[in-house]
Amino acid sequence: MRLHPLTALTAACCAAVMTTAAGSWPLSVAVALAAVLLAARTGVAARVLLAAGVILAPLFLSLLVLHGLFFPEGHTVLAQWGPARVTAEGLGFALELASRTAACVLLLLLFSFTVSVPDLLTALAARRIPPQFSFVLAATLTLVPAMAERLEKIRQAQEARGLVVGRGLLSRLAAARLQAVPLVLGLVEDAGLRAQALDARGFGTTGPRTSYRQLQDPPAQRIFRATALLLAAAAVVLRLSTAWPAAVPT
Amino acid sequence: MACGGAYVTGDGRAQLGQPAEDGQPAAVTLPAAAARIRSFSFHGDAVEALRDVQLAVLPGTLTAVLGGSGSGKTTLGKLIAGWLRGGHSGVLRGSLALGADRLEFHGGSGDPRINPAAWSGRVGYVPQDAAAMLSSVRSTVAEELAFGLENRGVPRLEMIRQVARIAEQTGLSGLLERDPAELSGGELRRLAVACAAIADPEVLVLDEPLASLDADGASQLRTLVDRLLDAGTAVVLLSQTADALARSAGHWIVLNGGTVTAEGPPAELGNGAALRDAGVVAEGLPAGTPGDLPLAAASTPVLELRGIGFGYGSGETRGARSARGPAGVVPPVALLRDLDLTVRPGEIVAITGPNGTGKSTLLRHFNGLLRPQAGEVRVEGGGIDRIPTGRIAASVGMLFQQPRDQLFERTVLREVGFGLRRLAGAEAAAGRAQEALAAVGLSDAAQAHPAELPSSRQRLLALATVLARRPAVIALDEPTVGLDRHGLERLQHAIAAAAARGAGVVLVTHDLAYARANAQRILALDGGSLREI
Amino acid sequence: MSPQSLTLPDAGSRTGAGTAPGRRRLLEIAGATAIAATYVFLVLTQPVEIANGPASFSALVALGGFLLGAVLLLVAVLPVLPTSTLVLMPVAIVLNVVLGQLMGSTGLPFYLDAIGTVLIAVLAGPAAGAATGVLGSIVWSFFNPTVLPFAAGAALIGFLAGLAARGGLFRRFYLAPVAGFLTGILAGVVSAPIAAFVYGGTAGLGTGAIVSAFRAMGDTLLAAITKQALISDPMDKAIVFTIAALLAYALPRRTTFQFAFVRRFRVLAGKLPADPAA
Repeated sequence: MRLHPLTALTAACCAAVMTTAAGSWPLSVAVALAAVLLAARTGVAARVLLAAGVILAPLFLSLLVLHGLFFPEGHTVLAQWGPARVTAEGLGFALELASRTAACVLLLLLFSFTVSVPDLLTALAARRIPPQFSFVLAATLTLVPAMAERLEKIRQAQEARGLVVGRGLLSRLAAARLQAVPLVLGLVEDAGLRAQALDARGFGTTGPRTSYRQLQDPPAQRIFRATALLLAAAAVVLRLSTAWPAAVPT
Repeated sequence: MACGGAYVTGDGRAQLGQPAEDGQPAAVTLPAAAARIRSFSFHGDAVEALRDVQLAVLPGTLTAVLGGSGSGKTTLGKLIAGWLRGGHSGVLRGSLALGADRLEFHGGSGDPRINPAAWSGRVGYVPQDAAAMLSSVRSTVAEELAFGLENRGVPRLEMIRQVARIAEQTGLSGLLERDPAELSGGELRRLAVACAAIADPEVLVLDEPLASLDADGASQLRTLVDRLLDAGTAVVLLSQTADALARSAGHWIVLNGGTVTAEGPPAELGNGAALRDAGVVAEGLPAGTPGDLPLAAASTPVLELRGIGFGYGSGETRGARSARGPAGVVPPVALLRDLDLTVRPGEIVAITGPNGTGKSTLLRHFNGLLRPQAGEVRVEGGGIDRIPTGRIAASVGMLFQQPRDQLFERTVLREVGFGLRRLAGAEAAAGRAQEALAAVGLSDAAQAHPAELPSSRQRLLALATVLARRPAVIALDEPTVGLDRHGLERLQHAIAAAAARGAGVVLVTHDLAYARANAQRILALDGGSLREI
Repeated sequence: MSPQSLTLPDAGSRTGAGTAPGRRRLLEIAGATAIAATYVFLVLTQPVEIANGPASFSALVALGGFLLGAVLLLVAVLPVLPTSTLVLMPVAIVLNVVLGQLMGSTGLPFYLDAIGTVLIAVLAGPAAGAATGVLGSIVWSFFNPTVLPFAAGAALIGFLAGLAARGGLFRRFYLAPVAGFLTGILAGVVSAPIAAFVYGGTAGLGTGAIVSAFRAMGDTLLAAITKQALISDPMDKAIVFTIAALLAYALPRRTTFQFAFVRRFRVLAGKLPADPAA
């Protein structure tokens, strides 16, 4: 059975919130692994892992250097070189944060790489989310590949006019400017024309709207979403109430 | 004021309309739409885009507005259809009427504000760039058609009925589940018309509906226009070509420089001076004079291709479009196979062939934008194997189909002068830039912003940037598309002058008639290699 | 299809229902308050927090407060934006990334990921800029979920860029970087708690080294990241504002003058042409 896009979105978000609220690295690692397993089952593991790797690798490295070497609050010193101290607390803190971020990123990427965008738009329209939001979301997703193609065309056209990109910073800056101008100009002009077309097709009106595309939303999935939201809220409340006395100075 | 009062009477009846085809006197039929534009100027422009233009269209008739690039056709069409609105897009003085509803504009803040959604329910407009009509956020043709209905809150069952009806009418029934982004040019144009026609407007304005359509696409679109006319829709055609569709119109309005220079039935205007002055292209392009050109002497070739082989990888999307293997298999098709080409100084060579045969791909080998997988390209006697495109550009000038991508400066003069200093020295650069502008007739626009030129002149500017560098080889990709009559004449002269100077010219075109008229040698790209025809 | 009037009501009553503008204003204030209150709360509680183990509590507060504020702002602004502004938003969002990469290819050590947002703010005003900031973060989180929590900071950049444009700071080429510098200070400070409490650091190695240096001197994590932001962000935003200004100058007049905001506040240099009939 196909998941309603809102069910998938709710599941990903609630899992991310609960993982954040729990703040325990074994749980975070387990959630991250679960996300990877699910990605493998839906056949998007390679893409999810690649995207997550690009995002997470620099963060991990930065966290390791930052907290691994400099953590003034740490007591248990494992090694020391001049001002840099490796402390157990610092490493623990880095592990905690890295695993939590990894879990959340993997969950959300799993959602965005598996969701059907048209279905998501239909679901949003049915929930009376402003159509402007859906438009910007969908139009951006359409524009991303088109933009790359366009930039390549511009580059070719300019090279054919004798533009040689040198190695120097200034030369590359100048080349970037020359490419950016037609790109921005073309996109802004196209956008102006599209605005006229959208207005003519009633996009600017404020009245009620209907939807041509329809989506199945089985009751079981509605119950699941409500439950997930309740659980996430409970986790947040629990975390806030237990941490409150310690966290707020009196 | 020239257009005083006698144009539309108080109750909105046409005095000026063309004779109705069913023999009814025009005076008693209310025009479906009437415009009396005293002036319209865009915000930020000192010049008026339109002045003293009047137009009235009766139900079920075809009216053609003809004019060259920059004549104001599109502005007029968009004003009638509410795509451009007084106050919102510019300053409008005059009146617009739909049936008995009439709005007066004085160019002030008290003017009525057109509701584009309601207005377009009565007058539809289809832009020349059909893709701009689409919402870009719907994943199937059916949903795209329904987009306008969804926004107006039409109940779903009614929507399904209307989508089916309009799809039937526009020949899109078989394509309803397709992705709009994957339609062919002709299908896309029909979808854009359908998106406008689904609101059942009384008037439909079509901007260059046949531009860059092949014969098949054009004939399907003609059928669609005939159907709309039969159903009582008033159709306004905006065109810079007096083609068969324009000739079937009941009434012509010729625009030049933003104002009407002639109007009347096509038979009267025929191929007259007004039409020529306005830059309207007559069917059948101006005959060239290839016979007058000196035939290239047997000197060293400026461009030589030897045994070129090239194919896009099977995984690439670019290749997939042109790769039509047997039984739908997409093999890594060799687009070019063992291809030879020799171009001598002063020679004009045309390469023709249907879409998707690899003409543009071949052109991109001349300056190294694409590198051959087999064989060798030699320019002015030297191989270009390891030379970057930017350097080859000194010897090979190339004009692309989309001029906008090639332009990036703030003024026309700077655009042409770009990189000239390094190439020709400071003193020669200024002279060469002026000369190139003069050659394409843009001397008067030297200080204009390239992006504000009409499309035909943008192409000429791109051509000037190529000419100013005086390359040994000039390669032109579909140079005639989108050029008006003035533009075509300039192009022809510029090519002839470049050839006379000793440049080798290669032009790629789908238009065999143009190739015959303007080239000394015509080659067909067929099965990956060239043959003389 | 119900027959609609061919014209819209007068400009004076364009917002239609009488209570709607009031409610929008309320939402805007609530959104801004949520962001400000969250920031103040986090700054006050953080010294206790860092010694207290994992930063779950602060992370939840930072995420919740900032996202709530950003979404409230979006809900207030989005429905009143004209279509001509709305269609620019996807362009701006993609430009943020593509121009960022294009500039990144020049080897400059900055992120430059707000060029599109600033450009739209210059053309269409502070509200459009703020909405683009938020929407950009939400949409881009499809590809990189870590940008989502920075939505409030992105909104602030768009909003301040719009204010600067309205105030005429984009009329002169040399004023744009000044406006960018000031925006960078504010935006950097506001975004620091997210970096500190949600991610525990910054994603870049260069910025990470600066944070490390401050940490080595004994600063709290939030203080170290705030100081690092005060070093990188103003410079970054000064460049971003300059590039956006250069792009806006390169656009032809007919294009920029389509935007009522540009005409009304004379955002870019140059006078309105004399009205032919006036």
